[in-house]
Amino acid sequence: MNWQIVRALIAKDFKLYFRNRFFALITVLALVAYVVIYFVMPSMVDETLEMAVYAPVLPPILEQAGSQGLELVLMESEEQLKEAVIGGEYLAGVVVPPDFMDKLMSGEKGRLDVYFGTDTPEELQDSITVLLEEMAYLQTGQMLSVHVSPEVLGRDMVGIQIPMRDRLLPMLAVIILMMEMLGLASLISSEVVGRTVQALLITPMTIRGLFAAKLIMGVSLAFVQALLFMAVTGGLNQQPLIIIAALLLGAIMVTGIGFLVASGSKEMTTVMAWGFPALIVLSVPAFGVLAPGTVSDWVKAIPSYYLVDAVYQAANFNAGWSDLWNNLLILLGFDIVFVWLGITVLGRKLR
Amino acid sequence: MSVRRVAILLGKDFKYGSKGFVFILAIVAPILISLVLNLVFGTFFSQTAKLGINDQGNSRLVDLVSASDSVQTRTYASADDLKKAVEVGAVDMGVALPGNFDEDVLSGNSIVLPAYVWGESLAKNRGILLATINSAVRQLAGQEVPVHIETTTLGDTQSVPWSDRLLPLVLLVAVAMGGVMVPASLMVDEKQKRTLTALAITPATLGDILAAKGLMGVILALVMSIVILLMNQAFGVQTGLLMIVLGLGAVLAALFGLVLGVLIKDITTLFATIKGIGILLYAPVFVYMFPQIPQWIGKIFPTYYIVQPVVEISQQGGSWSAIATDVFILIGLDLILIGVVVFVLRRTKQFAV
Repeated sequence: MNWQIVRALIAKDFKLYFRNRFFALITVLALVAYVVIYFVMPSMVDETLEMAVYAPVLPPILEQAGSQGLELVLMESEEQLKEAVIGGEYLAGVVVPPDFMDKLMSGEKGRLDVYFGTDTPEELQDSITVLLEEMAYLQTGQMLSVHVSPEVLGRDMVGIQIPMRDRLLPMLAVIILMMEMLGLASLISSEVVGRTVQALLITPMTIRGLFAAKLIMGVSLAFVQALLFMAVTGGLNQQPLIIIAALLLGAIMVTGIGFLVASGSKEMTTVMAWGFPALIVLSVPAFGVLAPGTVSDWVKAIPSYYLVDAVYQAANFNAGWSDLWNNLLILLGFDIVFVWLGITVLGRKLR
Repeated sequence: MSVRRVAILLGKDFKYGSKGFVFILAIVAPILISLVLNLVFGTFFSQTAKLGINDQGNSRLVDLVSASDSVQTRTYASADDLKKAVEVGAVDMGVALPGNFDEDVLSGNSIVLPAYVWGESLAKNRGILLATINSAVRQLAGQEVPVHIETTTLGDTQSVPWSDRLLPLVLLVAVAMGGVMVPASLMVDEKQKRTLTALAITPATLGDILAAKGLMGVILALVMSIVILLMNQAFGVQTGLLMIVLGLGAVLAALFGLVLGVLIKDITTLFATIKGIGILLYAPVFVYMFPQIPQWIGKIFPTYYIVQPVVEISQQGGSWSAIATDVFILIGLDLILIGVVVFVLRRTKQFAV
């Protein structure tokens, strides 16, 4: 294999790639858009229900509201409370009458006025009512014979929850990698249809050299962008080496898939037709991270699961090599399979 | 016009046109947009607390908790399934109710109820779930609530969820992409490749060709609208009425697509024109997105009469009487556009070249 020729081919491919306005534009715009989406999303998780309270005499149980997931903010007047709720500062406002405690202690039914904003979802209105009722039970000393004994499964994340934007990171990384797969597939298929590949093969360029050039080009395009994205969004702050390794293996995998897509395509539209279903399937594991519990164990059959899981665990839970070596190994296995398959199928088409 | 020739042309368009970029985009774009909007604004990321229950007896607690709006309840056949569901985050908390749970509660026996809590569950969800379980147990035990809670909603605007506000946008994307873009691009493509000239020397008339392209647009717009409504669980109960309205809307879109296809000669101009008039096509959706905008502004735009009856039927459970005026206007617009297509065809006899 003549590396000088391979280098020349890579340089030519980069030129051609960025000459296709569609992919060039998508490459730059998408990267910027993903970064913007990341930074626009909230960086914190709101773990508590914020409520305004106006209580001339504060019932002692309300002081323990924090343990119920409520965050109470005391207001100076009922009017101030109503204005705050209308203004959307709080989900709800509770007015506790001055005689509330006296009534409860004398065995009478107390009364609470609860104000909701128009944007407060119905299920939250119901939740707040249930929580307040439960506090009233406790305040009157009505204990339950049933004691719920909680056991936390997995790491207890109360107070250190992962914001949605950080859950989104692996998905965006996969999409970036896959978009490059589409670009590479389009480039290769246009060369096959234009018969420039066949022309190249009558020069000193060998078929191994040709695939080496395409592989290097595809991997660098995908890897550099995904890496750039992770670096800009702070995704490399924890376990950077593992994340870099996972992205590199992911880039190799999508390049192999790109070869397969190119072998079945004639131009950009057929690349899209084959590429989008592949993109959607490979994005499924990322949905499992975004909305836990929505996907079952079969998701492990999708190769991108091991990339998504590795990036998610390393970036958000500081998982180390000992936790993720098996993910990276399986990913490497998929790389070998896809690159071999891609080269074999595309190679047959070229011959 | 020959029905057989139209069917043959339609079959050809489906066979070859379906491989085109615009056709694929007309299918993929609305689905992707709907998925993304559902992800961002829909119930997919709903933070309603989720409770898993494994009921080893036949406890009334399950019904009591399921009746509560504050939590989503799922039942599991075994304690192992329940534990697994909690581990993967399918539910925030899981409780396994012993066989004689109700009897023990009623007799006042002390019970320790083991509960699994998902590590990533939010503090507020844990609080809500515990309170909901306790509330249900208290109801089961017959305890009287010591407080009367009077709830009032402040503010004079009715809250419409963003997922509902954005449905008209996705619906219009489906109708416009399938109904307008596909027939227009098919016509333009035939002109650019000069296959329209070839067709002109066959027995197929221009009417046959236009009918085939228009039908393709109608079918695609109709199918994609149905898909979008199903995806958004907004099909409503008046299926027949909804199908009629969607059909009339698809016809309007396809006729507009044919007008563009007849008048425009190349794909670049078509895309530029669609971009230019995009604001007119999509303008009515702003009325739904921002209810503060007066409704009459939406009524200026023809596409309003596609969206409004659909929204009325699917989201507000409207019947024929509620949509009759809009449907008659839609039929009127269809008839006007049929006239425009015929007029444009007669004026543009040289459209095939």
